[in-house]
Amino acid sequence: VTGEQRPAWSAAFAPAALRAVEPIPQIDEITPEWAWAGSTGAGVKVAVIDSGVDAAHPAVGGVSGYLAVSPEGDELAYSEEPHEDVFGHGTACAGIVRTVAPDCEIYSIRVLGAALRGRGTVFAGGLRWAIENGMQVCNLSLGSTKRDLFGVFHELADLAYFKNVMLVTAANNMPIPSFPSLYASVISVASHDGSDPYLIFYNPDPPVEFGAPGIDVRVAWRAGSWITVTGNSFAAPHITGLVAKILAKHPRMTLFQMKTVLRALAANVSHDQRARAPSPFEP
Amino acid sequence: MDTDADSAPSDGLAQARQTIAQQARELKRLRARLEQEQFAEKLSSALSLASTTGTIGSPVTHSRLLEMIVETAAHVISARAAALFLLDEEKQELVFEVALGSKADEVRKFRVPLGHGIAGLVAVSGQPMALSDASSDPRLAADIAERVGYVPESVLCVPLFYHDQIIGSLELLDKEGAPSFTSADIDALGLFANQAAVALQQSRTHQNLAALVREIVDSVSEAAADERQALDEGAGTFAAAVEEDESFRRALGLAHLVQEIVSQGEDEFEACQSVLGAFAEYLRLRPRPAGAFGGER
Repeated sequence: VTGEQRPAWSAAFAPAALRAVEPIPQIDEITPEWAWAGSTGAGVKVAVIDSGVDAAHPAVGGVSGYLAVSPEGDELAYSEEPHEDVFGHGTACAGIVRTVAPDCEIYSIRVLGAALRGRGTVFAGGLRWAIENGMQVCNLSLGSTKRDLFGVFHELADLAYFKNVMLVTAANNMPIPSFPSLYASVISVASHDGSDPYLIFYNPDPPVEFGAPGIDVRVAWRAGSWITVTGNSFAAPHITGLVAKILAKHPRMTLFQMKTVLRALAANVSHDQRARAPSPFEP
Repeated sequence: MDTDADSAPSDGLAQARQTIAQQARELKRLRARLEQEQFAEKLSSALSLASTTGTIGSPVTHSRLLEMIVETAAHVISARAAALFLLDEEKQELVFEVALGSKADEVRKFRVPLGHGIAGLVAVSGQPMALSDASSDPRLAADIAERVGYVPESVLCVPLFYHDQIIGSLELLDKEGAPSFTSADIDALGLFANQAAVALQQSRTHQNLAALVREIVDSVSEAAADERQALDEGAGTFAAAVEEDESFRRALGLAHLVQEIVSQGEDEFEACQSVLGAFAEYLRLRPRPAGAFGGER
């Protein structure tokens, strides 16, 4: 059988084309030391898709690039000029990412702004730009509830998965379905009330898979200020920072490996079989 | 489930029974869910009480409903002050509809651009948010603080969703007896906001009826100005008559009920459609006593 006769998509598995990939250690042996010790997130491109980022805020310590998306008639306008944070929300997220991954490259992608008509499509436009322009991790502390956009965001989440762009999303605290946080291909995060930025939990009952600090968190805000806030919006950037930190040390790690690593490092993963909740796969 | 009217007549009753059994299971499931959500149940019954006493759905008391929503939320979550904003979709502004606090009268109809302050951020992001030290940055809550008459220490704000649309936001200020609102408060206010948004939208729909009829007449009419005026007057009279009509009120009551069920989700929508469809089919197939057709008011 020659390569040309292979069924669709099989070319990658032809002997001559088959690529060697890196192993990961046994899951039980994954430790914070292995995962991120010594890493500062250097060189990893992190998009904060939000209300803008105040680059001058001491908690943020600079922004590597900007994109502002706004509606222009039926089209979207894109500007790479430096911009401000119109709320403080994006600055808060960027500041949290920095505490965990101090040397990562933060890109502010502003999709929340003063002219908000069609904001779901603006959000989708910003996300598409991030996926197609080399971002490695995207922090999405926002979501759309518009059923019309279900397909659009689903396609973008799949595109991100195939390009190995990691989408870290805040789960909606409201009992309303919100995208893209409900898709399987994203890292969905909600709040726990701890304050250690490295304390994460795994939820075996998805769609929300990970818990990070998000209750009464001290965050950077607009115009150099600080406030104490609660919301899943502030849990997601903790995981975004961790993902950047891990990626800097293990640059070829895939999204499914990343989820495995995060799960292995969750504080509620017990190696004591008696302490575990019964598994549906065990009699 | 097949609810087509042209199903074989012999299947009608069996199908209705099956549907009713399915609905009973669905009701049981919903009831179980409600029991888990004790808080939502309490608020839900508060709102339905208001509904049965005629508070909801009556045009003259739409503003009273808004006040009730704010009062109930503030009371149950123990907040010192509260405010409700509704979205003006066209102007992309939030309209300050109700405020509980010392300067409540001054704030009515005050407008803020969408995206201004916490209420604006919540209405834009669709994400609820709580702040513990709002007073440390007065700009944050300046829109509320100045209008209501004081600067809050803590703020809790949730979006108001009707189906997948944000129609406004509900904001509570200063938790009584605690430094800040808890994540349980966020969940509770979120559940309440869903109930409130349904009631609110229903009331608004009713309130808009007369205006809507007039708008329709305007949009289809290419007539001269004097004829238009006559049409306008006619439309006004028609709308008033329709609203006073008992059968319209009863139909509206039924519509509200259906609306409340279907707003729960796709499963509830299908269950409701199946039950009503099967029941209507059963009635169509049932031998009808002479003279009973139509009934009387």
